[in-house]
Amino acid sequence: MKAAQKESGKVRFTDYDYSHFYYGAGDDPLNVLGSFGTWLEDAFPSGYYLYAEPLHSAPSTRVRVRNNKTGQVCDLLNMASYNYLGISYRDEVKKAAIEAVQKYGLGASGSPILSGTFDVHEELEKAVASFKGKPNTILFPTGYSANVGFISALMRSGDNIILDQYSHASIVDGSILAKSKTTFFRHNNPLDLDRKLANMKGKKLVVVEGVYSMDGDVCALPEIVEVAKKHGARILIDEAHSTFLFGPNGRGVAEHFGLDKEVDFHLGTFSKSLGGQGGFVCGDQTLIHYIAAFGRSRFFSCNLSPILAAGLVAGMKILESEPQLRAKLWSNVAYLRRRFAEEGVDIGKSTSQVMPVHVHNDHKVFEVAGKIQDRGLFLQPVTYPAVPKNKSRLRISISAAHTEEDLEQAVQVIAGVLREEGIQL
Amino acid sequence: MELPFADAISGYFEIPIDNARRLLPPHLEPFELHHGSGILSMTVFDMPKSPVGGYRSVTMAIVVVPYVKGAPGERLPKAAVYPYLTGTNAFMPRQIGSSMFHLPHWGDNLKIDLTREGKSITAAVAAGKDPVATLTISEYEWEPTEYVYQSFMKDSSGSYRAEIEVKGEISDHEEETGKLVLHEHEFHNGLSIPDVFDVPFREVWTRNAVQTFGPLVQIQTA
Repeated sequence: MKAAQKESGKVRFTDYDYSHFYYGAGDDPLNVLGSFGTWLEDAFPSGYYLYAEPLHSAPSTRVRVRNNKTGQVCDLLNMASYNYLGISYRDEVKKAAIEAVQKYGLGASGSPILSGTFDVHEELEKAVASFKGKPNTILFPTGYSANVGFISALMRSGDNIILDQYSHASIVDGSILAKSKTTFFRHNNPLDLDRKLANMKGKKLVVVEGVYSMDGDVCALPEIVEVAKKHGARILIDEAHSTFLFGPNGRGVAEHFGLDKEVDFHLGTFSKSLGGQGGFVCGDQTLIHYIAAFGRSRFFSCNLSPILAAGLVAGMKILESEPQLRAKLWSNVAYLRRRFAEEGVDIGKSTSQVMPVHVHNDHKVFEVAGKIQDRGLFLQPVTYPAVPKNKSRLRISISAAHTEEDLEQAVQVIAGVLREEGIQL
Repeated sequence: MELPFADAISGYFEIPIDNARRLLPPHLEPFELHHGSGILSMTVFDMPKSPVGGYRSVTMAIVVVPYVKGAPGERLPKAAVYPYLTGTNAFMPRQIGSSMFHLPHWGDNLKIDLTREGKSITAAVAAGKDPVATLTISEYEWEPTEYVYQSFMKDSSGSYRAEIEVKGEISDHEEETGKLVLHEHEFHNGLSIPDVFDVPFREVWTRNAVQTFGPLVQIQTA
């Protein structure tokens, strides 16, 4: 922002963010709400209204969304939902889910270790294990609970967990619950990992992600595996954004690099590529039994709804029988990368279907995102502290279901608004 | 009290939370950047026009949980720090810093050099012939700034808190372009040097600014 643009002395809502409201005054926990509420009165209409706008339709490429500020329901081009393969609203998936609701009713009505495991859960576990080329799979109600449950099931107080500094909150929270010593290494930096592991004694677990969810960059897995092995550390890869997409068979980034066997633990989710819900970990039978016994986030949760499980089984059949969906997704990614490059739009180091459009201005990102929505695109800004200072961005998710016309529309709107707002292109 | 300065450069570095806690008095809590990670800051001030003559200083601090009053319309602090050691290149500011602001000071004059190269600035701190620390940060975009931060102090007379308003121009970013070299030296007693990230996650450069110190509040007696 140029100096002249800021009226001296005037506090902008973007001068503060969630990080400033972590601590409150006095002895009453509710005291924190006073200053937070005052700030939100300004922040909500100025930009935070763009979060959690309710969809009135399936998360396909075109969505009906209610604007949180105006209350108006608008038809928008969806550049925000995961649903990378465009499977969740396919007729086969809906039919399977409808049949499941007729057969099972609404929910699992129990923990997976007691009464909440259904035949369709076992069917889904087998389908995932077969797809991933692993002996067994264990399901979790969400991707978040998969990381929290798996990490805290395996690691103990006094052990070491070494995380990429951009790790997802579920990985960090799993480490907190494990009560292990947590050490962060610089993002995707094997040299720093080597330095951090150098003097570490005892059990060590290195956790990385196949694709990082805010930057869309791919893990430097070959170098990280080499360093971890050198120091005798086990490796967990969270393939939330890469399972069903990367690699010759779509198994993920580990397969993409030919390191499927070198990585010790493989975790994934159903909410991204399949547009469903739930998480999973693959491994041998004993590991799976152990995680079932010690994974508290699963043990003490109701199981994944059998309706979701049935829909996911149908979704997996589609992705296995239609590998062209992956090809279409990668073709869409290549198209958008090329067009953004031609327009001078900065997408950082993304090489995946997660594409951040960098705005480089924490004070302007909400205005930019609001204008983009007004011109027909559904996407959200991501700001500090979710991403580093001055690295505010608009987060784009590309789907195989997008047409070239959809993508071109997105490019025109985004590049046009960035230019109008004086964002360097 | 107003203290004008030409430049202040700060690097913020991750350190293990246990190390941060060791450098703090018991009544302060380290601010967690991530689970298990505290924040070390190193700031070098260049004050060519201070009331006691031109001087430079270096402050090593731990970022701590701020004190929020909860008063209506309260101007929230952008950050809070506990400077655990300050050093200067002149006697008078050291004397004033110790007596008026209760800041723990390195006893002798330090040599503090500032070198600009392109968009970067490097501060080299030495005690006599011994190098102490070298901090390099880079600029991003300049904009006017006006904010409040808190500083907590402790010495043999008690514990204190001050609110400090800064007005000037600021450049801050998290581009990871800076660098910190800490040399083995008594100046770093209590700090586990190998555990300090050598690249700042945030680089802040403030220039042509004034710091205004609010009234000192004693929060604990000795």
